Amino acid sequence: MTPIIQRLTTSLGLLLLMTLPLTSWAHKASDSFIYVDQSEPQLRIDLALRDLALILPLDRNNDGQLNGAEVRQSRDAITRLVDGGLTLSNASGRCQLVGQQWGLSRHSDGPYAAGQYQVACPDSQPPASMEYSLLFDQDPLHRGLVSISDGQGERLAVLAPDEQKLALDVNTGTLGSSFQLFGTFLYEGVIHLLIGLDHILFLLVLMLPATLPLKPRQPAEMTRHRDNLRVRLLELVGIVTAFTVAHSITLALAALNIVTLPIAWVETVIALSIAVAALNVFWPFLGHKTWKLAFGFGLIHGFGFASVLGDLTSGVSQTVVALAGFNLGVELGQLGLLVVLFPVLYLCGRFRLYERAAVPAMLLMVGALSLYWVAERATAI
Amino acid sequence: MTRTTNKPLTTCFKSCGLRRRPVCDPGLTALHPALRRGVFSLLALTSALSMGTALAAPTAIETDFDDQEILITLPTGAVATDTPPADANKAADQIQTYLIQARTQGDPRYLGYARALLDRWPEQRMTDRLVILNASLNQSLHQFEPAREQLTDVINQSTDREQVIQAHLTLANLELVQGRYAPAREHCEQLFSALPGLIATSCQAQVDARTGSAQTAYKSLLARTQRSSTSDTVSLSWAEGTLADIAAQLGRPEAEQHWRRVLTLTPDDLYARAQLSDWLLEQGDARAVINLTDGYEQVDSLAVIRAIALKRLEHVDAAPLADRLEERFNEARWRGNLLHQRDLARYALDIEGNTDTALTYARANWQDQREPLDTRLLLRAAKAASEDSIIADVRAWLNGHNQQDARYPEGES
Repeated sequence: MTPIIQRLTTSLGLLLLMTLPLTSWAHKASDSFIYVDQSEPQLRIDLALRDLALILPLDRNNDGQLNGAEVRQSRDAITRLVDGGLTLSNASGRCQLVGQQWGLSRHSDGPYAAGQYQVACPDSQPPASMEYSLLFDQDPLHRGLVSISDGQGERLAVLAPDEQKLALDVNTGTLGSSFQLFGTFLYEGVIHLLIGLDHILFLLVLMLPATLPLKPRQPAEMTRHRDNLRVRLLELVGIVTAFTVAHSITLALAALNIVTLPIAWVETVIALSIAVAALNVFWPFLGHKTWKLAFGFGLIHGFGFASVLGDLTSGVSQTVVALAGFNLGVELGQLGLLVVLFPVLYLCGRFRLYERAAVPAMLLMVGALSLYWVAERATAI
Repeated sequence: MTRTTNKPLTTCFKSCGLRRRPVCDPGLTALHPALRRGVFSLLALTSALSMGTALAAPTAIETDFDDQEILITLPTGAVATDTPPADANKAADQIQTYLIQARTQGDPRYLGYARALLDRWPEQRMTDRLVILNASLNQSLHQFEPAREQLTDVINQSTDREQVIQAHLTLANLELVQGRYAPAREHCEQLFSALPGLIATSCQAQVDARTGSAQTAYKSLLARTQRSSTSDTVSLSWAEGTLADIAAQLGRPEAEQHWRRVLTLTPDDLYARAQLSDWLLEQGDARAVINLTDGYEQVDSLAVIRAIALKRLEHVDAAPLADRLEERFNEARWRGNLLHQRDLARYALDIEGNTDTALTYARANWQDQREPLDTRLLLRAAKAASEDSIIADVRAWLNGHNQQDARYPEGES
């Protein structure tokens, strides 16, 4: 082997190892763990001893090992390090970290130094933001893993060299702004209406009569096609508006905790409302004015929406924004459904078979399904 | 509302993976309002947090620890970041040492130290060698695209033959790992014309084996290896590793002895150790796996294989190791930016029995890495989840490269 080849292979040999695919990850990358409890407010930070040893002379006897005494002796230095690399503040200024407890903890890769602090801001309010810069110079792959809780909810975040600052709201921090919060709840509203089969069926039952041709007992000149459509559209608008106004009222009342009803009963009555509405098409014991029915039962459906919203908003400070977004989402979902369904069903209304067979069959099926729900939900109460 | 949302979220975290929203059957949820509400809190929280909160619970702070207790042994060759290396070669030596430590100890913190040194190194003083090391580091961090660009730059622009050869070799392996066999073959050929020898031959044999000629690749590389001088351990170890992989691909029992030779030549080759462990596990020799992985629990890939072997033997250590792995993977998921999706997917599939999570991570991993064990994992996870379309996609890709492998699960191609 010629010398140059020899030299090449030797240097290649060192690098060959590195060209292998990375399958054997171990230990773990450097992380510190920061837990912020906004309800107290308190903060705990866990820093790996191994990482601290990069910055501070922890190994006082230079034996390559750290014992309990060496860590204890470095407590002041570690506290100063935390003070310099971790800043909490709010509008009133920088908050003090008042030490409460100090010692060791463990994570998956070994021992950590852990400090628990009371967070004292100038105005005695919780901190609004956090800035963290420890260890990034030594290890750009270091991350600060943050958990923020407020007694109701909890959120996780990650601090990195290019993201050293973090807002400390529990729920809106990652969403960023009211606008995004609104958008999220708008989406949830649409989704809830679309996958909540009971609301859809209720709307369908209310809509079905409006897709049928007008009865002959109505004035003859109005049965002309265009007038028929106009009358039916007006009727539909009335029904939808009544339903919307009604459920918006109760949704707001419930979401703002003004009126609350037991959810199990609400779910049962919602199921019952579908059956009643279906029955009313055959035998109008509640009258021909469908909008009144839509309004009455809309009130109950609002409480149903509210129970979902209540779960979603746990811990959200801007309930009103969430409420507005969610409600609008429900309306959009409802409107989208009508825009798709009504024209189809209205066109079907030209065929006698639709009126004679399809509509009664649909009503029967929906009625039976909703009665099954009533039974199921009632027995669960 | 209180923390009732935590519980379903944990469930979701285990069953849906991180970025996947829970899949809900609308028919079912329409029938069960209580369930539906649970689902909505999941949707809201997963969209807002993308993470489970159950990960975050810390252990208590221990205040009365013993003064004499040895808490940790610090790594040798402590990092001296205050004094940057005097010249580019010294810097490169230091970075290379970090990368090798990361590799042989399976410790990603060294990658961070290497990154710190490279980030601080002035742009105008970069050398070809430093660029190649930077590319190796990027590859280690799964930044494949920047790595590819840097290596291509060195190949196109460098006048230093040694560095061009190194760049070809590194790039050939990068392409091979990603399953891009045409460019891999090209770089192996360039490597061969610049530096004919066992390493270049191994490079070509590996590409041949993955593209339909495993039998002949094995035979010719074996003959070539037996003829070559035994003093060049680096090349020999490389060739033996390649022979082992091709033998395993062919389902030949010689795979074990080839892997054992690699470990004799280079005992701290964690990749070879993991491959041999995997081979032995597939052969049903769980006891040998436990011997081979003893003392390597800190290495994720070896720890997962060990956990599977312990579980098969119904060993008392099985549950404690599975718990430690769960904690480790939970922390990794909190951190995000996963480097070991393959290990996590395999843990989910073979230890937790959680096919959804396994499939999520096996798929994500396969986007980056298409080594036979990555492909096998995706096929197995897809099979467990009855995702026939994914199996069909993978099989189509394999057929496109004419790749057969005895390690893949049964199934019509």
